Amino acid sequence: MDLNNIPLFAALTERMKWLTQRQKVLSENVANANTPNYRPRDLKPLEFKEMIEGPEEKAVHVNRTNLHHIRVAEISPYEAQRSGNGNALTPTGNGVQIEEEMMKVAETQIQYELTTSLYKKNLGMLKMALGRR
Amino acid sequence: MDLLKTMAISASGMDAQGKRMRVISENLANKDSIGRTPNDDPYRRKTISFKNVLDREDNVTKVKVGRIGVDRSEFELKFNPSHPAANADGYVKVPNVNALVEIMDMKETQRSYQANLGVIEASKKMIMRTLSILQQ
Repeated sequence: MDLNNIPLFAALTERMKWLTQRQKVLSENVANANTPNYRPRDLKPLEFKEMIEGPEEKAVHVNRTNLHHIRVAEISPYEAQRSGNGNALTPTGNGVQIEEEMMKVAETQIQYELTTSLYKKNLGMLKMALGRR
Repeated sequence: MDLLKTMAISASGMDAQGKRMRVISENLANKDSIGRTPNDDPYRRKTISFKNVLDREDNVTKVKVGRIGVDRSEFELKFNPSHPAANADGYVKVPNVNALVEIMDMKETQRSYQANLGVIEASKKMIMRTLSILQQ
């Protein structure tokens, strides 16, 4: 049985993937808070439709015709784009505002907790239906 | 796993800030390093710059130290005729280190370091949260 065949689990998994990807982009922003000419990036908000049907632009997979071929890491379908306004630049041309990025990190973390909690609750409900509790 | 890569990015940021702190402390420690003879140059302030480099192994962009250069600005002159390094007019060349600028840089370094630490903490909590799905 694949849990992802249940739409709710599929949607939550997609949401977790998006949040993980966002956390990665945000950590790049914070790490580059003092890099000259660096502009912050962010993912575009996850649409409900994408959450249900998966991302619009499907990830590209490399065909593996032989077991000995090196597996290529999957490229995330969620693309990062420039964020923030271009007005707030430091003299070195850096556009990262640490406060804003930290706020986004906290937001991502809270949403991740919410998503995992929902996932756990639904697993619990499945177990209850199976009569294990 | 992507969240572990996230932590690696933050760690690279902390590493870069640590190297920046080293340069700042070098500058501050040598604030009064003056030459011995009038021809000797005093300590010249060092500068550090960061750059964004793609890590091919992890497929993420990490922060690396770009270049440790020197500040080419003029040395200040101080009137001290009794010093062995004083020139004919009695002036001694002193390093072009401005303690105020260095302290400000130090504060910025500290703040960036803390921010990276905060992101690592948040990523760690997210990983633990994922693992907690298993414990039921």
